[in-house]
Amino acid sequence: MGIIDLDEVEVRLANRTVLSSLTGELNGQAIGLLGPNGAGKSTLINTLLGFHLPSKGTARVFGLDVHKDRAQIRGSIGFMPENDSFIGNMSGVRFVRYMTELAGLPSEVALERAHEALFYVGLGEVRYRKVNTYSLGMKQLIKLAQALAHGPKLLILDEPTNGLDPVARQRMIQLIKDIRKEGSIRLLISSHLLRDIDETCDEVLILKDGRIASLCNIEEERRSNRSFMELETVGATERFSVSIRGLGCECATFPGGRIKLVIPDNIEARDLYVIASEQGVQIRRMNQRRDSLEDIFLRAMDNDRARNDQERSANGRL
Amino acid sequence: MAVYKRNYSAYTGTVTPVWTRVLVLARYAFEEAWASKITVGLFIFCLLPCIMSLVVIYLGDNPIARALVGGQGQQMLAIDAKFFLKVLQTQAWLALVMASWIAPRLITFDLADNALPILLSHPISRFGYVFGKFIALFTSLSLITWLPCLLLFVYQSYSSPQPWAMSNLQIAMGLLAGSVIWIAFLSVLGLALSSWVKWRVVATGVIFAAVFVPAGVGAIVSAVLRTRWGLLLNVPVMMSNLWQRLLGAPTPMDERLSVPTLAIAVMLLLACLVCVAMLNKRIRAREVVRG
Repeated sequence: MGIIDLDEVEVRLANRTVLSSLTGELNGQAIGLLGPNGAGKSTLINTLLGFHLPSKGTARVFGLDVHKDRAQIRGSIGFMPENDSFIGNMSGVRFVRYMTELAGLPSEVALERAHEALFYVGLGEVRYRKVNTYSLGMKQLIKLAQALAHGPKLLILDEPTNGLDPVARQRMIQLIKDIRKEGSIRLLISSHLLRDIDETCDEVLILKDGRIASLCNIEEERRSNRSFMELETVGATERFSVSIRGLGCECATFPGGRIKLVIPDNIEARDLYVIASEQGVQIRRMNQRRDSLEDIFLRAMDNDRARNDQERSANGRL
Repeated sequence: MAVYKRNYSAYTGTVTPVWTRVLVLARYAFEEAWASKITVGLFIFCLLPCIMSLVVIYLGDNPIARALVGGQGQQMLAIDAKFFLKVLQTQAWLALVMASWIAPRLITFDLADNALPILLSHPISRFGYVFGKFIALFTSLSLITWLPCLLLFVYQSYSSPQPWAMSNLQIAMGLLAGSVIWIAFLSVLGLALSSWVKWRVVATGVIFAAVFVPAGVGAIVSAVLRTRWGLLLNVPVMMSNLWQRLLGAPTPMDERLSVPTLAIAVMLLLACLVCVAMLNKRIRAREVVRG
């Protein structure tokens, strides 16, 4: 049983399929939820919180059904929403105490933990100020404080660095790393920023158009130590990429003749030059490097595109 | 998670039962409502008629005072169902003023700052959220309606020279039932309308309008169609009918302004259902954009 189990989850909103056939088991200490805008990240989070009922399939958090056991799940989750979400005319400490009491802590304990959570995130000095006087960075931090104060088992952070300046972003990332290091909380972090996920997560679920484009363990992917190469070419790039796929390379093409490759052990750069020469393609730049989340992400996007093309052509044949 | 260490530590203590979370919401909502000096001022203002009624009851039960005011005044100082009907009507309309001030404070702050996603991500349902706010508003309105009315009844029972309470028990029951129906209706109406209007001042106006504008429409309907069923849109007339019957007071109004009790109950129920539908539509953690 994973932290989050998805079994053919489909979510329809306003007669539109937003999530489709999501299946997977998420087990990481910090799970990244990546995807372009509109990929379904926030919808998946809302489904896990029981805000949306899956139209098909089941989703489970800690083995509990997200719809039937939503009260129990919500009790063990801390949620930091993407957009502004607070009660502006309350002081910071009162707001966090209120949320902590709603999560089930007795009143006095909630007050104590509210103070502590605010100090922990760095808002100790401004905790008696009204929340609507806070800066954007402070508002992000108070959302984190309220999500943490009751000691959740799973912390869901939806775009935690949204709108933060570089210093505030770094502070937020450091906090997330500290929480992860502490070990008692699992994290689910949604972002469209690869860097945030790269720095904080050990597992990543990549969504595209409401489907899972990739689900992998970042650490394992890195440990596999695959060789990556970036090429800048001039000429018949598409034909060239088909040929190098024939060599066994995983390959993604981009506008401007850019190609990203994952090269198997038995293939050398010379083989690429040979094919390029045969096809009259110029290789203007060649950059070899280790795997990064960006590569995983781009590969996932490309695989998804290829799968869609295949499906479309199959439908066309039918 | 000690302050001096500034490290995170998990909570391992006991948690409160899930059903008590509604009371947490109600408590915070109640505190929010009464944090305003205007609320306190309104509350004091709403109690002035009760204090005047208290004086009237004192004088009514005082033989010297009765002798001093003479024959005409005897009727004025009579403490009966008619007297309590006036008290209830006064308090009920003051409750409308109070509700139109408090209800927007309970909901619009949450909506204006988009607090619902955070609030509802806790172990509290949408029903629980509305119910918590309802409790806060209902309790606030109780302080100026059935509670002082029943205290007046108790005082009259105590100070009356003859045994009075048992023979007038219907008044007490009527005060309680009439107040509870009215403030429950006001609470649902106030919360529903406040949930659709982000600005508090506008929400206050809308609550007043929702009570009095249909009365005008009802009057037009009655005049044009030559029927008395237009009165079913007239909340003041409907409630006056209901209170008068509940207290067993003599009919103070023209027979043409009389509406069957069942029709009143159905109309109030329908209005409450519309309010519940409005709340159901608006109180959501996430808005689903159609299209």
